[in-house]
Amino acid sequence: MKNKKMIWALLIVMPAIFSSISCKKFLDRKPLTATLDDLHQGTLEGQSFNLYSTLRSYAGFSTLPWLDFNSIRDDDAQKGSSATDGKEINAEFETFQYTKDDWATDTYWNDHYYMINQANKELYTADSLKVTDEASLRNVGEACFFRAYSYFELVKAYGDIPKINYYYTNAAQGVQPKSPAADIYALIDSDLNVASQYLPLNWEIAGNNIYPGRLTSGAAKTLWAQTYLQRQNWAQVVALCNQVIASGQYTLTSNFVDIWKDGLNGAGKNGPESIFEAQCWITQGGATYYGTQWGTSQNVRQGGASVDWNLGWGWNTPTDKLAADWDSTDPRKAATILYSGQYDGGPATGGYGATLPAYNPGTLLDQKYWNKKVYSDPQMRAFTGEIGNSGGADWINHRILRYADVLLMLAEASNETGDGATAEAMLEKVRARARGGNNAVLPHIAFVSQSQMRTAIKNERRWEFAMEGYRFNDLVRWGDAQTVLGSLGYQPRNALYPIPQPAIDLSGGKLVQNPNY
Amino acid sequence: MSIKTYFQGKRIVSCFLPVLFLLAFSVPSSVFAQEKTVTGKVTGSDGSPIAGVTVQEKGAKTGTATDASGNFSLSVTKPDAFLVISSLGYETQTISLAGRSSVDVTLSAAAAKELEQVVVIGYGTANKRDLTGSIVKVSGKEVADKPNVNPVASLQGKVAGLSVVNNGTPGQAPDIRIRGTVSIGQVHPLYVVDGIFEDNIDYINPNDIESIEILKDPSSLAIFGVKGATGVIAITTKKAAAGKTVVNFNTSYGFKQLVDKIKMADASQFKTLFDEENANNNVTTPDYSALTANTDWISAVTRTATFNTNNLSISSGTDKNKFNLGLGYSSDQGIIRHEQLDRLLLSLTDEVKLNKAIKVGVTLNAQRQHDPYDATNILNEARQVMPQVSAKTKPFLVQNPYGSDSTTVNMYSGLDVALQNSGVVNPVLELENTWNKRIKIEYRTVGSVYADITFLKYFDFRTTLYADISNVDDRQYSPLYYAYNPLNDQPYLYSSKTQVSQTNSIWRKFQQDHILNFKKSFGQHNVTATAGFTTYYFGNFNTSGVAKPYSTGNALPIPDDKRFWYMSNGFEDPTQTLSSSSQGEYSTISSLGRVLYNYAGKYYFNASLRDDASSQIPSKNRHQQFWAVGGAWEISKEKFMENVSVIDFLKLKGSIGVLGNQSVPDFPGGGTNYYPFYPNLLNGSAAVFGTNIYNAASDAYRVNPDLKWETVNAHDVGIELNAFKNRLHFEADYFNNTTKDLMSYISLGALGLKDQIENGGSLKNWGEELTASWNQSVTKDFSVNISGNISFLKNKVLSLSPDLPGGHIIVGSQNNGSAESRTEVGQPIGSFFGYVVEGLYQSYADILKSPPASSIGSYRPGDFKFKDINGDKQITSADRTIIGNPSPKFTYGGSVNLTFKGFNLGIDFNGVYGNQIFRTWGSLESPFQRVNYPAFKINSWTGPGTSNWDPIISQADRFNYNGSTYNIEDGSYFRFRNIQLGYTFNHSMISHLKLSNLRLYANVQNLKTFKNNYGYTAEFGGNATSFGYDNAGGAIPVITTFGLSVSF
Repeated sequence: MKNKKMIWALLIVMPAIFSSISCKKFLDRKPLTATLDDLHQGTLEGQSFNLYSTLRSYAGFSTLPWLDFNSIRDDDAQKGSSATDGKEINAEFETFQYTKDDWATDTYWNDHYYMINQANKELYTADSLKVTDEASLRNVGEACFFRAYSYFELVKAYGDIPKINYYYTNAAQGVQPKSPAADIYALIDSDLNVASQYLPLNWEIAGNNIYPGRLTSGAAKTLWAQTYLQRQNWAQVVALCNQVIASGQYTLTSNFVDIWKDGLNGAGKNGPESIFEAQCWITQGGATYYGTQWGTSQNVRQGGASVDWNLGWGWNTPTDKLAADWDSTDPRKAATILYSGQYDGGPATGGYGATLPAYNPGTLLDQKYWNKKVYSDPQMRAFTGEIGNSGGADWINHRILRYADVLLMLAEASNETGDGATAEAMLEKVRARARGGNNAVLPHIAFVSQSQMRTAIKNERRWEFAMEGYRFNDLVRWGDAQTVLGSLGYQPRNALYPIPQPAIDLSGGKLVQNPNY
Repeated sequence: MSIKTYFQGKRIVSCFLPVLFLLAFSVPSSVFAQEKTVTGKVTGSDGSPIAGVTVQEKGAKTGTATDASGNFSLSVTKPDAFLVISSLGYETQTISLAGRSSVDVTLSAAAAKELEQVVVIGYGTANKRDLTGSIVKVSGKEVADKPNVNPVASLQGKVAGLSVVNNGTPGQAPDIRIRGTVSIGQVHPLYVVDGIFEDNIDYINPNDIESIEILKDPSSLAIFGVKGATGVIAITTKKAAAGKTVVNFNTSYGFKQLVDKIKMADASQFKTLFDEENANNNVTTPDYSALTANTDWISAVTRTATFNTNNLSISSGTDKNKFNLGLGYSSDQGIIRHEQLDRLLLSLTDEVKLNKAIKVGVTLNAQRQHDPYDATNILNEARQVMPQVSAKTKPFLVQNPYGSDSTTVNMYSGLDVALQNSGVVNPVLELENTWNKRIKIEYRTVGSVYADITFLKYFDFRTTLYADISNVDDRQYSPLYYAYNPLNDQPYLYSSKTQVSQTNSIWRKFQQDHILNFKKSFGQHNVTATAGFTTYYFGNFNTSGVAKPYSTGNALPIPDDKRFWYMSNGFEDPTQTLSSSSQGEYSTISSLGRVLYNYAGKYYFNASLRDDASSQIPSKNRHQQFWAVGGAWEISKEKFMENVSVIDFLKLKGSIGVLGNQSVPDFPGGGTNYYPFYPNLLNGSAAVFGTNIYNAASDAYRVNPDLKWETVNAHDVGIELNAFKNRLHFEADYFNNTTKDLMSYISLGALGLKDQIENGGSLKNWGEELTASWNQSVTKDFSVNISGNISFLKNKVLSLSPDLPGGHIIVGSQNNGSAESRTEVGQPIGSFFGYVVEGLYQSYADILKSPPASSIGSYRPGDFKFKDINGDKQITSADRTIIGNPSPKFTYGGSVNLTFKGFNLGIDFNGVYGNQIFRTWGSLESPFQRVNYPAFKINSWTGPGTSNWDPIISQADRFNYNGSTYNIEDGSYFRFRNIQLGYTFNHSMISHLKLSNLRLYANVQNLKTFKNNYGYTAEFGGNATSFGYDNAGGAIPVITTFGLSVSF
């Protein structure tokens, strides 16, 4: 019968729906893209690259929060931008009404601890793998460098802070009370000791630098010298700076304005004076984009001017005080301050032959001066497409460590340890380069007395590093902050920033606020 | 040999039967002796014919059904046979033929419809009477003629325990929650459409819906396992009935209008307030005299929109084959200019009865949807622009941006960039130039094939294979266009670069169900048992890319022509062309079982169990079990109730169980996470050395090897009552659900960590639901139906993850998170958090005698005086507290339906009470932006005694830009949700037109809302831990439609 046949057919034509499915296979699904597990032995290198990526892309290292803490807080730089843009920053970082819970301040804290945890994880991986090969040890050196770099910025900003030098999986293990700053410095010393041993002198193979801008032992030693300078451990500063100088890897860029070039095909990046830079790279039209807002955040803000002058957000601009105090015969002044309403000076002073719209807040440009050290190259604007309404300068590298600092640190430490001759010689190297061959300006300063030389070095640091984010910390460590910044509202407690409220909240009370906040 | 005997003689070797569509169709013959033919007509009490009524000879196997005119013809074996005439929803009649060859029958509506209601439960249907759970059935008629393309939007206020928060965007699903917010992750219910699991029902035509069931309690939900905890909305689509061929066409057309517009400052008020603000700050008011307009920006971006839907359906059924075809087209405009959704839907079902034992069928839904451009933020943008900016166009002779010729272009105004920049835009400029530069079309096909076989008398086995495959083609073009500078009246190229971006998204969902049913009565013991096996696969694959033209030399831009809106268009610079993809899959394998038992129709017991194994959970926790048991007692069947004549039906019921929530929180930056325990590498992370790029490796989030699904311990008790000759129907439920192992990303930023998904914490939802209705035919022509429901709901967080050291979940928005939702132990989920405003500092003397507040920032007279909550004599961030609850204390809805002859009038209303709204506009503006003032700012503080609530106008006073009770508004509202007046023509009036039904109606939705807040509406959805924010959007229009429905 028909029905019977059909039933037979039913039973015979058993579709292999289930037999073909192994339950385990059906349920065992991994991401359809790489995970750390897929990287095998490349893990350490990839994790090291992640630290560079963090340095470039996290705002706590690369843009506004970093500028707020390090530059805008001093007397020579101000927030800039427009009157309303980021108005709270005026109060917080120019008049020292520190707040405990704000995007910029929270980000500064969070991003540095993020870097620390990422470095901890890499060091944990290296420990687990028990690596001994040179390449892996270099990765260990990089992790140690970044951890020390982050701790140094944190200890300068906050003083006593939680010491997290271990990898952990349970978040509660990351809650720690403060450690004294001395303990943090001990960790920094140990990390930079490792980094300066494991990192190579350079990354050259057959004279070809295969990783331009990658960390070197020179970078580790320069940072280490900075940390000793902070602690006024002059002997160590002298020793480390001498090692960097003796390495023969660095020279002062002969023309001061060339330090700041950021042109086509990477021109100007990682120059002879560069010890460490946060690296950016953007290809034509932004097709490949590995930029940061370091340059964008500081370039000329359009205000009410034409959209051609929408070069950036216009933060971190020179103050009237900087412009007034600085002797115009110092060629570095014209290379550092870009004036609204004036010709940009052309290539001789780091310009591109344009004339800026006038200063007229609300109608034309909102600021009188701009930071010329990041003044964007029009060729790169066109090349990357960061023009018009999309204006920006995301390709610009943040020069973090440069050789001039090694020389001036050596000068300062030598002077403090009674070696006036070295101080004089190092100071002169920096001044001679700044002079640019014009002996009519920036005369040689001979050593007369320790205090005379101390003042000269302080001044030199102010001009050489203007707008670069050294000055606030210099003033604090010199004990000059009250004198120089008092009129802006600075009080002794302002040497240290209050710990962000979310960190205190998240710690459930384990972390206590800094004194006087 | 019959099927039955065949199966009785065989052992079933497998519970997995084949897919029957593989088989050739076989039509068994069934020839009967024809002795006598009876004809007749079946009508309702109003005289209109009833189609699809089953007419059978008692004791014989033959039967037929009435056609569209109510006529039938049946061969009977003997002249004095009895005819049994039955139809769902009507009282069954038995008529003695007594030799007649023609009979006309009038059927009366079944009195106690509720009692015999067949409801959809997971993997089957059941008589509502046999269940111990709480299921509400809504007829498809309730949603078919409402002006909402998403049928769920029409359920607002209809069902106790179902919260529907609508929005004004065409096609956008409402925020739907059943019995509260049960999770800090996924809270929307599971949709089950004719068996297939879905997370949205965009592809369903409201006109194709037979019924919607809302399943709320553990006894009903445990069978859905890991997807059951958020409740289920089960949709049953229309199927053809035997013996009936019906063609129905309906159409509606109507208008949408913006009401309850927010009030912003006009030009003179702006001037007053801006001058005041600048005076407050000793700043010279910038010269904006070039701007002379007085634009109402909200009017400038909105319009009277239209709504239009047209549907055609054909259904035809015989005993052997039931066929249903539906075709629908909807065009739903938003009140924002150019916002329009176009949707074309096709549905097809066919079921063939191969023989008495085997049925096979197929269902198919196909959709083509053209999405509106994204206008979500337009209303918010509109309220920001200064009224002095013109919304009109001006002609300028300019160079054609695509060529070198000159052309006159009507341009919109740019903004005064010195005053308004950084995020403030002229919304008309942007929308008029870009609304038609995006083509986003979704194609979706959802289908199933099934075979159903009954055997061994009491068994039934059903295999269904489902597939839901959709593809979204999304192409967007950035055109070149001009604006003019309103200050100097000069044109400039506002958008100066062309670009094409293209995204192709594919979703694939496959499901297979294999369900064995057993149903038998042993004396007074009645048992229905179900066992099943099901798998589910979900895959999402997206490819996207961006193409840009050459940027050097005199390269050509990509033309403004749809032909070129593809990645490869002939104009693209290959070095600037980028592509990327994202993809993910997950799967589950489940087995399930259920028993429905009752003794003598008096004592009921239901139990269900499901095991779910999921690819998204680490293998050590991979299998999780969910279960429920329930009991009910039909008290009205007891002897002692026999004399209580007023009560027709009384049932007491209760159930407990454990339900699951397959809730994986999205990535912190957005995007679905398909691998919650298996982090991929962070995207776009790379080291740069000079001009070299090296991929960097870091986990996108933190791993949690102990992850498992959230579970809900659910409890429900209730009663059902019918009284007064079944005129009164009443249901009451008490529920108490505790969610455990809440799954969420925990932000550990202040520890320098990426977020991690954690299980931890629990929350409780409990409350009461009351539903009552009264049905009465007052006279033969006049009947009344009144119904109402009210749901009381409480929500409380019992604990949170111990790994969250701060002990709360914070979701912040606006400036540095000053608009804060805080989920904290002991409080309702997503509570608003901030300062309590006691008033304003009226003077410096007032400040001096008040506790110092400088740790929050600098302040002055006219600024908020925050309350010292902790009593430490100073105002600090520690004085923030819970300042509002976004969940209502109760929600309610009701309707009155009056029928008089052919007329019917339905009035629906709904409301919520006791929740708060957090208003972010006019209070927490960004310091970067100069935005227009709300009109109420005219009452701001200008000196001692002038105001004690609206602070001094000054964007510089960031002190006032902390979240506080100033932002909190009463979210209670009452709305006339829907009013419909319809007229159904009497059959006698239209029968000569060969029509079986003709109905005309007018419908007004959202006629009037009574509310207490400043916003467009009081309805603001969101996600589990952050909802109820008024961001100056979400306008709900009044929709007036006129409709026609005709059947023949």
